[in-house]
Amino acid sequence: MDSIRKNKLAIFLFMLPAAVLFVGIIITPIIMSVIYSFQDWNGITEPKFVGFDNYIELFTSKSAGVPKSILNALLLAILSVFIQLPVSLGLALLISRGIKSERLFMTLFFIPVLMSTVVIGQLWLKIYNPRYGILNVLLDAMGFHDLAGTAWLGDTKTVLAAVFIPNLWQYVGYHMLLMYAGIKSVSPDVIEAAKIDGATDWQINTRIIIPLLKPVIKICVIFAVTGSLKAFDLIYVLTGGGPDHASEVPSTLMVHMIFDQNRYGFGSAIAIMIIFLCFFFAIAIKKGIKTEDYDEK
Amino acid sequence: MKSSIGIDENAVVSSKSLNNSKKMLKNMKGRTPVFTYLVLGFWTLMCVFPLYWMFTFSLKSNSEIFGENVLGLPKEWLWSNYSDALNVGSSGDSFWQSGMVRYFKNSGIVTVLTIAVTIVCALMACYALTRMKWKGRNTVNNIFMLGLTIPIHAALLPVFLMLKTFNMTNSYQALVIPYSAFALAMAIMIFGSFMVNIPEELEESACLDGCGTFGIFFKIILPLMRPAVSTVAIFIFLQAWNELMFATIFNSGSQYKTLPVGINEFFGSYTTKWGPIGAALVIATFPTLLVYAFISKKIQDSLIAGAIKG
Amino acid sequence: MKIKKVLSGIAAAVLMAGMVSGCGASNEGDNGGSAASGGKKEEGVTTLTLWSIATQSDTFRESYDKAIADFEASHENVKIVHEAFENESYKTKIKAAVAANELPDVFYTWAGGFSQSFVESGKVLALDSYYDKYKDELSEAALKNITYDGKLYGSTMVTPVSVMWYNQKIFNDNGLSTPETWDDFVNVCKKLRESGIDPIATSAKDKWVLAMLHDGLTLKSVGPEKLQKTLLKQGGSYSDPDFLLSAQKIKELVDINAFIDGAAALSNDEASAEFYNGKAAMYFTGSWMGASIMTDAKNPDDFSVAPIPVVNSANAKITDFMGGGADSLMVAASTKNADLSAELAFELTKGISKYGYLSGAGIPAWKVNYDDSVVPPLTKKVAEYANNATSFTLWFDTLLSSEDANEYLPLLQKLYLGSLSPEDFQKEMAAQLEK
Repeated sequence: MDSIRKNKLAIFLFMLPAAVLFVGIIITPIIMSVIYSFQDWNGITEPKFVGFDNYIELFTSKSAGVPKSILNALLLAILSVFIQLPVSLGLALLISRGIKSERLFMTLFFIPVLMSTVVIGQLWLKIYNPRYGILNVLLDAMGFHDLAGTAWLGDTKTVLAAVFIPNLWQYVGYHMLLMYAGIKSVSPDVIEAAKIDGATDWQINTRIIIPLLKPVIKICVIFAVTGSLKAFDLIYVLTGGGPDHASEVPSTLMVHMIFDQNRYGFGSAIAIMIIFLCFFFAIAIKKGIKTEDYDEK
Repeated sequence: MKSSIGIDENAVVSSKSLNNSKKMLKNMKGRTPVFTYLVLGFWTLMCVFPLYWMFTFSLKSNSEIFGENVLGLPKEWLWSNYSDALNVGSSGDSFWQSGMVRYFKNSGIVTVLTIAVTIVCALMACYALTRMKWKGRNTVNNIFMLGLTIPIHAALLPVFLMLKTFNMTNSYQALVIPYSAFALAMAIMIFGSFMVNIPEELEESACLDGCGTFGIFFKIILPLMRPAVSTVAIFIFLQAWNELMFATIFNSGSQYKTLPVGINEFFGSYTTKWGPIGAALVIATFPTLLVYAFISKKIQDSLIAGAIKG
Repeated sequence: MKIKKVLSGIAAAVLMAGMVSGCGASNEGDNGGSAASGGKKEEGVTTLTLWSIATQSDTFRESYDKAIADFEASHENVKIVHEAFENESYKTKIKAAVAANELPDVFYTWAGGFSQSFVESGKVLALDSYYDKYKDELSEAALKNITYDGKLYGSTMVTPVSVMWYNQKIFNDNGLSTPETWDDFVNVCKKLRESGIDPIATSAKDKWVLAMLHDGLTLKSVGPEKLQKTLLKQGGSYSDPDFLLSAQKIKELVDINAFIDGAAALSNDEASAEFYNGKAAMYFTGSWMGASIMTDAKNPDDFSVAPIPVVNSANAKITDFMGGGADSLMVAASTKNADLSAELAFELTKGISKYGYLSGAGIPAWKVNYDDSVVPPLTKKVAEYANNATSFTLWFDTLLSSEDANEYLPLLQKLYLGSLSPEDFQKEMAAQLEK
């Protein structure tokens, strides 16, 4: 068996296509971005080498607002792990345990993930609209007349919560599907045995299913954190990072720098920072959540 | 017939667990509490509402969409929005020459190829990374996670320059290759989490039967990975189907425009008619729902048939 | 499963083929220039590629189509391939195309700061030698924004100007007349607010909409000469007290509650819908709104148009306008058919100028030497303003370099939100422009 597991030719052949793709399309752009990040470049005319200037500006410039955007993204990541994932897990547990029309719910819960960001963005704009938005109409009907006039996306105090909620809501279905598939691959025998021993549903969930689900949960956490740190589309549609940079995240700032301000070098420095943060957290989570993984073997 | 013990064993396990799971379903159905359905019902509402809203706004005029009638059914059912949507980018009068049909075809080709390329590459790499023993595989595995970290806007220009160097702009490859590369990390990770759960004994007994590395991969591993393949396929499908920036920049000819780029054509510089956009989005979204419902059935079937842990 | 195997086989083959052919061709890539866009000659037919933002639903689409048809009719062996892209993503696309040297023969772009780096990089063809032929129909003044370092790099089609669109019916119902001075204007706003009507609809989320008003008020406080000198950094300082005036006026409008509620959260689409619906009385934006009123407003006849009121009559007149030729066509330096492409750029802009005017979409930059009796009345009125204008000043965000423009718009948003006082706004603007 060992000779089969150490078959060098097979390893080479198995790795080759993925490696070619990966080096060409992922690694090369990262290297190029690193090079750009040391330049003062507008993306078009001759670049100028400036050393670490862009990185220094990244953390010292008040007007660029990078530190605040990182804090916003980290907050989104925390909310994502501690609100979005538990909701996904709860829903996955509920529908995977043999309720009626299991598959119907599976399909329905996935709808927000399937829909284009244009639709989701427009819908939430309608929900938050200060004049006829669904939220304000509801608040008014419930008697909160003071709150009912709020421009949720236009007020620096409420905007962050207002853009985070759709972000969290939209991807619940995504994580739910992963967890559902994980739960379904737990053998019913184990659960049956536990039942015979008199375990309650709660005990089965917490003591048997969730521990067995660890590899999947780990992946969900990694996806949720890296996804939050890179979050862009929906925030861009809803506020573009405004008003007054209140809902800025690193990606909106990066796009703004590269394509609006023509500061390709500085934008690349932000990109490198995003890559570094994502990679750091991904590795940390991978190491942090111990599973009976190939890692440790 | 010793040559396929692994598979036989699997078949035995699966038929047993199928029986059990059916029994279990029976046990549980009787006592699902009302509370559960309340929660599920509430969340269903939250998820179905966008669909309802998209469908109604596809039949409205701008003045209804913006303020007059945001939520209700259209006062005036503007089916003409759908013919407007179909007319965009037309090269002729017939339905088959309409822009939407062409965008649909392009999106379909790009998406299917992306799914195929990604899954083939990722399954192979994942097997080498999780099941085979070699120096540095852990590091390589970590490096692949870099694929999760790149913001696509930062990669736009470098990837564009790469594609240009290889003379690949204005083609289906110009999208399939970047999409596959960007989906690779996700696919490898998800496959990995499923593959670790396949008992090593299966491989070992196949080895005793004389299977080589490739035999084990194709005969033992691949069949057991079906649920994971379906799951990953859905995620790749979503990414490739909805991607806008790469598709706008890497291809210029209208013969390669995908749905998101095509739908973007509905936006004017200063004014936008939202009704036809809604119609185009309905046309673009409903097939994805069908595909999803179909694949999710596959996932479920293969999950129940392939439960192997225990 | 079989299908999947076949597909994966095909995919792998495609991939490999791509890689292999790619490697072979990689040497030519750099020398070949714009492989996709260069003119291809097939059986004596020359194909020219044009990129624009005239998408199918754009108000100018029809004008493009007609102008292209005209050109093809008068040039038998020429075929134009027109690819249109949505405005926002086009900005990204065109920058990437310049960087990668993948430009088409002729492309749409914005004059002023936006295209400056394109010209500096040497990727755009100078058109001076082709311009002589069109001198009588297109004035040099119309081309000043697309002239860099004394050389002409493109041709322009329309001369949009910012104006005050208003609901004549609401004005009549409330006994109001069109304001020409700041005091009149403030009174109109106050009266409308008292009668429960939102005076001004605007979007502070799509910051350019609010900028349309602020740019206009600045022009009417500072006057055209000083404004241009300051923005183009040719002497003149933003610290000049006249610049403070327009910032204070925005603040004053916020304070008297002249803007629609929640403008910071509304997009241009949402805000203009309130205006078309008759829920708000005024909208400050470009002349292009004339065409939209015709299609989107319930009662187009209720609407009218006027110049932006004068704030400081010592510096500015009612006939000074914000606007000018910004929409341009440029020719790529890499084109293989320079003469033909240059001709196309001029002829197309000329055609679009004409057809755009006739349909009400735009104010012509080229001489009107045709019957214009079919032009919609609102557009005609704006065209008359433009004809009698004493000056044109390009909008801040077009005239300024991208860096400065993208500093200006967020600052303006802060001024609107009240997180920046007019004095601080002026200070920050001055600091940015002195960088």
